[in-house]
Order: sequence, then C-alpha cells, then structure tokens
Amino acid sequence: MRRGLGIAIVSTIALTVTACGSSGSSSSSSSSGGGGSVSGAKTLAASAMNSPPKGTITYCTGKDTTGDAAYTVAQFNAKYSAQGYHAQLVEFPASADQQRAQFIQRQQAHSSSCDVFSSDVIWTAEFSSQKWLYDLTPYVTANASKFIAAPLDTVHYGGKYWGVPQTSDAAFIYYKKGEAVPSTWQQVYADAKKTGGIVYQGAPYEGLTCDFLELAFAAGGQVLSADGKKSVLNSPQNVKALELMVSGIKQGSAPQAVTTYMEPETDQAFTTGKYGYMRNWTYAYAADSTGALKGKIAAAPLPTFAGAGKASILGGHNSVISVYSKDPGLALKFADFFASPAMQKAQILKFSLAAVIPSVYTDPDVRKAVPYSSQLLQALSQAHARPVSPVYPQISQAIYTNVNDALAGRVSPQAALQKADSQINSALATF
Amino acid sequence: MATVANQAGAPAPTRRRSRSLSEKRLAVLMVSPSMILIALVAAWPIIYAIWLSLHQYSVRVAGLSRWVGADNYTSAVSSPDWRSALYHTIIFTVISVTLETMIGLGMALAMHRAFRGQGLLRTVVLVPWAVLTVVTAVMWRTMFVSPYGFINTILGTHTVWLGQEPYALIIIILADVWKTSPFIALLLLAGLQVIPDDIYEAAKVDGATAWQRFVRITLPLLKPAILVALIFRTLDALRIFDLPYVLTQGTVGTSTLSTIAQQTFATNRLYGQGAAMAILAFIIVMLVSFGYIRFVGGNIRGMTAE
Amino acid sequence: MEASAATSAEAVPRARARTARKPKRDRTPWYMWIAVVAIVLFCLFPFYWLINMSLKAGSDLNGSSVVPHHPTLTNYSAIFKNPDFIASLRNSAIVALITTALALIVGSFCAYALARLKLRGKAIILGLVLSITTFPQIAIAAPLFKLWSDIGIFDTYIGLIIPYLTFALPLAIFILVSFFREIPKDLEEAALVDGATRFQAFRKVVVPLAAPGLATAGILTFIAAWNEFLLAVTLTATTAARTVPAEISFFTGATEHQVPYGSIAAASVVISVPLILLVLLFQKRIVAGLTAGAVKG
Repeated sequence: MRRGLGIAIVSTIALTVTACGSSGSSSSSSSSGGGGSVSGAKTLAASAMNSPPKGTITYCTGKDTTGDAAYTVAQFNAKYSAQGYHAQLVEFPASADQQRAQFIQRQQAHSSSCDVFSSDVIWTAEFSSQKWLYDLTPYVTANASKFIAAPLDTVHYGGKYWGVPQTSDAAFIYYKKGEAVPSTWQQVYADAKKTGGIVYQGAPYEGLTCDFLELAFAAGGQVLSADGKKSVLNSPQNVKALELMVSGIKQGSAPQAVTTYMEPETDQAFTTGKYGYMRNWTYAYAADSTGALKGKIAAAPLPTFAGAGKASILGGHNSVISVYSKDPGLALKFADFFASPAMQKAQILKFSLAAVIPSVYTDPDVRKAVPYSSQLLQALSQAHARPVSPVYPQISQAIYTNVNDALAGRVSPQAALQKADSQINSALATF
Repeated sequence: MATVANQAGAPAPTRRRSRSLSEKRLAVLMVSPSMILIALVAAWPIIYAIWLSLHQYSVRVAGLSRWVGADNYTSAVSSPDWRSALYHTIIFTVISVTLETMIGLGMALAMHRAFRGQGLLRTVVLVPWAVLTVVTAVMWRTMFVSPYGFINTILGTHTVWLGQEPYALIIIILADVWKTSPFIALLLLAGLQVIPDDIYEAAKVDGATAWQRFVRITLPLLKPAILVALIFRTLDALRIFDLPYVLTQGTVGTSTLSTIAQQTFATNRLYGQGAAMAILAFIIVMLVSFGYIRFVGGNIRGMTAE
Repeated sequence: MEASAATSAEAVPRARARTARKPKRDRTPWYMWIAVVAIVLFCLFPFYWLINMSLKAGSDLNGSSVVPHHPTLTNYSAIFKNPDFIASLRNSAIVALITTALALIVGSFCAYALARLKLRGKAIILGLVLSITTFPQIAIAAPLFKLWSDIGIFDTYIGLIIPYLTFALPLAIFILVSFFREIPKDLEEAALVDGATRFQAFRKVVVPLAAPGLATAGILTFIAAWNEFLLAVTLTATTAARTVPAEISFFTGATEHQVPYGSIAAASVVISVPLILLVLLFQKRIVAGLTAGAVKG
C-alpha cells in the first residue's frame, strides 16, 4: 500500500507541474525601453459613473497624515449615501514602498478589496502594463481641459489614460519667517550650518530618489537617455549634485540622522525648531504649522543649482481603478468626485495639498489663504517627471540604495553613481 | 494468492502474525494522514517553487513567461546583492549562535545552582521566548530610535543605530540573542540536571578546582545538549526573517537569505528569480541539517525502536 | 545506582530525572544571587521598557525616559477602539486554535504509530518529519502566494492554516513521540490481552495517559502558530484574515504625523500578556516539551 501511495503522490505532482505550465495569455507588446504599449486592457466608459449599481466602494490610500482622505470620503458619503452610494477608507502604512506592496499583493491575488487606489504618479507605467487598471481614456479625454497638463501626463502611458489625477505635489524649502531665502542649493547648505541645519528625506526609499533628482535635474543631469533605453545616471552633473549632498552631511549642514528620515521623521525634526531648513512636500506647510512653529514657517520654491538651473520633481497621486473592482462605475464616480472643483479647493485650503485643476489657483479664497499658491502652480507646471518605465521601481531602488550608501559615507559619490548606473541598465534589460 | 502460498506448505498464520499484519496496516493508516498533509503543505510548495525558479515572469508584460533553466540560480549566486545577503546571514548566524550558547550556558549554570525559586526563575527566563518576534523587534526599535529610545541618552551619543551599517546588524543580533538565550539556557539546564552529583563529589575529593570540574566533567557531559542547541539555533538563524524585516526591511546591511528572496519575489515581482533565491536558501539549510541528521541519527533510531 | 542509570545507554525518562535529581547543595553563594538578578534584569528589562513606552503619549514619548513622566492609558483605549486590532486578535485565535487541534489529532496518530507500531522505515519517516521543520518559510510562502491567489483562498483562514501545519504537525509529532514512548507498555499490553484492538488501546489507554504530552504539544504548537509572521504577512491582505503579528507591523495608528510608537507598544503589551500567562501556568510543561529529545543518551 505504501508503494501505491508513493506512485499516487508522484503522478499528482507530475500532473500539477504540467498543469501550471504557461500562465495566462502571452499578450501584447514587445516592451522596448521606457515607452511601451498595453493592449487588451479593460476599458471603462465615461458613462459608467452616471448610474452605477448601488453599494460601497473601498478607497485605499497611504496613511492619511493630513486628513484629506477621511474628509473626501465623508463628503462623498454626505452627498451620495441617500442614493445608496457609499465609500469607505482603508489606510496603508505611511511609506510609499509599502503602499505599492499592498496594492500589488491585492492585484496579484485578484482581490477586490481595493476599488480605488491612491496611486503614486510613478506607478502608472508598471500597474497599467500588468493590466491591473481600468483604461479610463474615454473619461479623461472628455475632461482633459479641466486638469493641469503635467499631472495629467502622469496618467498617460502607451497612448492611453489609466487614472484620474487626484493630488499633485512639488517640494519646497521650508524655513522660519524672517530669515533670508537662499537663492542656490550651495547657499542653502552654507547657511544651514549657521541656522541649525537642513533636514530632508534621506532614508533608502522612493523619497530619497525625489530629493536627489531635484538636485540632479537642477544640476543638468538625467537618469535615462532620450529613448529611455540606457542609463545616463553616471554623469559629471549628477556626481556634482551628489557630492553637494554628501559634503553637506560631512560638514554638519545636515544631521547624519537624515539617512534614516522619511517624511514623518523630517516633520518631527523640523517641528522641534532646532533645524533651520526643511525640504518637504506641499502638505508640510499646514501639517507642521503647529506647536512652536505655528505661524512661523514660510515656503520657498527650490533654489537654483549654482552654475546650472532649477528643477522640481512632480509628485502627487492619481485615483486608479482596479480591474478586479466589483463596481467600477461607482469607483469612477468617486475618482471624479475627488477631482471636482469643490473637493480640490478644500484640498488646498484645509490640507495644503496641491490641487490638479488650475481654476483652484485663481480662486480669491485660495490666493488669500495660501500665500505661495501662484508659486505652487508655477512649480507644478514646470516640474520634471521621474523616469517613466514599467521597471521604474527597480530604477528607483538602484538610485536610492546607492545614494543612501553615499550619504552614509559607505561609498564615494562616484562609486555610488557608477553602481547605480549599472543596476539601472540591468533593470532596463529585465524580461 | 495467500491461500495458494498456504496450501504450498507455509505454516498456518499464527495469532501473532495476523496481529502483526493488522498492526502494520494500522500503522500505515495512522501515519498516512500526516504524510499526506506533509506532502501537501511542505513537499508540494517546494516542488512548485522549483518549477517557478526555472522560469522568468515578465515584469513588463502581463502573463508572459519563459523557460530559463538554471539561469536564475547562476544569476542569483553571482549577484552582489545575494552574496551580501549570504554574507550577512553567515555573520549573523555565527555571532548570534556563539553568543546565545555562551550566555545560555552561563544562565543554565546559575539557574542550576540557585535551586530556590527555580519555577519562578524558569518563568522569567521564558518571557523572552514567549514574546512574539514582531514584538521583540518593536521593543528593540523603541529602545534605540531617537528621540524615543534611551540608549542614546544614556550613552550620550547621537548614533543612528538602525540607519547605519554595522550597528543595524548588531542590534538585530542583540535582539535575537535576547530572545533565544533563555531557550538555550533551558535546554542546557535540563542537560545539567541529569549529571549526577557523585561525579562532582568524587572530583572534589580528588582535589579538582571548580574550573577543572567545569571543563573536565560538565562540558563533556553536556556535549549532547550543547550540540542539539547549536544545531537547532544554527538552522533557525540561517532562516532569520522576522527581525530584519520589521527593524530595517532588510536594508542597511541587514539583508538575509530570506529577506532578499521575499523582496525579489514580492516587491520586485521577479517571481522566477525570487523562487530561485528561496530554493537556494532551502538548499543551504538542508546541507547544514544533513550534518545534523548524521549526528543525531542514533537518537532518532532510539526514539523509534520498539 | 543512579549513576549507572544515567550513564547507561538507555535514556532515563526526563521527568523522573528532573524531580529526583534535585542537587543537595550548600546554601547558594552570594555571587550566584547576583547572577540571578542579572538574569532577571536581562530577561525582563526590554519588556518593562515596552510597558513604559505604552504608558507614554504626546511629548512624553520623545522624552526617552525610563519611567513615564505623565503615565496615561490613552494608547490602550486607542487600540481597543481600533476594529482592525480586535479583528486581528480574533483571526489569530481562530487560526492558532484550529491549527493546534489539527496538528494534535493528526500528529498523535502518526506519533503513536512511530513510537509503538511495527513499520519499516520509521526512522526515515521521523527524520523526514524533522527535516520539514528546517524548511525556510520563504521557500513555502512564495509558491503558496501564487497558488492561493489562483485558487482563491488568499486572505482566508484556511489559506493560513494549511501552511501553518508545516511546522505545527512536525512539532506535535516530535513531542508526542517522546511522550508516547514513556508510557509503560504493560498498560497497553494488558488492554490487548483483554481483547482490545490496537486502535482501541490507543484511544482508551494511551491517549488519556499522554494527556500531559498532548497539553505540552498543544501549548507549543499554539504559541508557534500565534507567533508566525512571514506567512501571515505574505498570505493575508485585509483584516479578513490578518493575524496579530502582521497587524502590528502594519499599524498605522491613530495619531497624525507621528510614528505611533505608543500605540504599537500598547498593542505589543496586550498581545504578550496572554502568552506570558500561558507560560506562568504551564512552564513545567513548556520546558518539558522544549527539551524533548535533547537530553537523550
């Protein structure tokens, strides 16, 4: 009997092994470099949001540090629950990497637990090429003129639109009112030594990629070649930018601890009042105007890189709809609601999160309450996008792990960028 | 057919033989649910993982996969990241197992002598073992991260413990040593308690010093227990995942065989490469445990002898 | 006699060894008491620190003091108002209990067969069972994630219980084999002579006698299942099945832009208390189970 059992086991294994041979359809595009195309995705008609089936959709987003997500969900329910439409909020951990991991895990598992997801602008290429998102081209093209161009670009991939812009973001240098505003990065670091230091996000995660690229792009460097097929990270301009950051820490203009800071830690440090400057996103203006710093912080656009130019990185999130959603029409209704003028105005007024529609910036209420609103609009319109590629997470990983190594003094800036360069090239060659 | 054999002159089945036959059948019946379950939950996933590891699954195009044979293995073994993970894992294993055994032995010796309140002492000693690994990670994180932690305050330093390369791994080692020395202490204590007093008395009469008694009597007699502790802990340390994952997500020089496999598989969505790394970890652990089976084979035979 | 019993090849039953061999020694020297105090501090201080953190809130958290300046219970009330945390407690309890029950039932059959019955290759089977406990979890988690997603039991109880048996079943078998072997054969033989079948002997004679062993195996399996992290994190996504260790690492907390160490600490304390109580009540059993097979000849 034992022998019979043995044979049964072996044949079962053999069957299952052959059964799990080719997985799914060998679909669509030959992915060439950065640009690509996605075919065979599910498209959602714009009219789907008009009278969707009644029910509840789940909106998944990262830790709601500002309160914006909770507010929007509450407003949506206030407006639509009478008609039988509800939204509920699920929060993921604060770090962008973990939010992405959570969403990916659900999509890989074909789970319907997130109908709408607040997707960072850098994930569009990756998520859409995996066909995890609804193609929202009909809706977006019908509404394109309502949005600022740069954020709208972030939902564009392979000729289609994969989400609805939700929030946008650019970073600022925050400082204490009454102090001088430095005009170049070099001056920021020099002044920082006298005024207590500058804090920014230097932990090995996506945030560091942004902080580094702001200096790198300002210095005139790039990440990918024009056709997106090769890495050009190891350039003299990028090395100069990294050297400025590394010497900043060495000379004490920035505390060593920044190599472990994400946004919450940066806020924490700056609100103690000990540090003179902070590089952080738009939300920090309202979030950090508490306690000792109430009414005392000001925001200035990112300075020039001496001898080169200015740059800012476009951040923000888009509302994307999961293909496994059970009520995509209602999900679209929610995404549309999030982008409506009323919500976008509340977003910037109450939570100092950048809106994605230009009309908000010319609103007199907004002009009065947000003194830097016109600079913000300008920053958004001129912001650079991070490299667009389905393997962007690996590209970013190559950048942030090596930059962090350099900041912590483990490798020289040159060696760090050299290693990142070769890692990016391997990432671009990923199957 | 049995009857034919009987008719051919074989002795009639005695009561003993028929009981032995039904015993055998019963034995198989009782063992098979476990064997089937084990095949299902352990053998099957490993086989599927091997299957995955022989392919690559596209991160660009949904659903596209291709056969690559052993490529994932060769690229993992030659990748500097995986090698770092292997290096960290070995360092972690060697240092933490050594420390745990030494501290555990010290604790066992102390507990052996202090016989009053042994029950309470054993309970106290079991607390680190009972606390969840995740909670251990939280504990040690809150002790070392400024501004919440007291370590920097007490030492007067400003070190970013969990953000710097040698320190992060050191903290993970400390947390693991804290959590498992008690377990080793208990193992060794049980071993100590089987050593009879007469041997020590005889040695004292012969004029042996405490140190000589320790080295010449205690250690050799404790060898089996020490070896069991060493091997269990070595296998556990090679597979370490929880602590580095929660404390540092495997960054800052704390990646291990398990964390890098998980990151490759889950975060980077490189299923083939990730599965290969998981199987590599499996092979390494198996090689170490083969050594164990050779040593303890006698023990297992002893446990199943009738 | 005791010396020869210990040094003979036949292993002395551990239970008898422990109680009978309490050394008669002089009064514990003073330096040993220092060692004991050191041990207690070493084992308990980090846990005390955790309690300390859990009683701090607001600016007190940043104080890095060893005693809270303004002790408060807000963290505890916050986590108990957190439905996700309560759900994870429930999930952990259900998964751990079912895993333990299955491991004990199925494992006791196997252990009895290995300890008592005639079967060829028993050593191989036990060796196989033992080797399963050495599998790296990651080697199982990755393929299971893919498979569970495809067949739809991702993020369910059964999706966790099945892989949990990978360590629960071998653990139970290994402990129970030791305990079954210690039960004197005469009792079973007597039952067999009286006409019972082997299985009846097992059910009616051996199992009740092995109750302490079952309890030990049950406690250790329960704790192992409660503690499991990697599979919990990989194979669950929502509070439908997320267990406590995964929930803690996922904690987003109630406060705004502060990392909620206070609530994390409170949650950690809350889930550690039942385990510590278990240890307090059953420390003898736990030690017996942990040292099973370690102190043999």
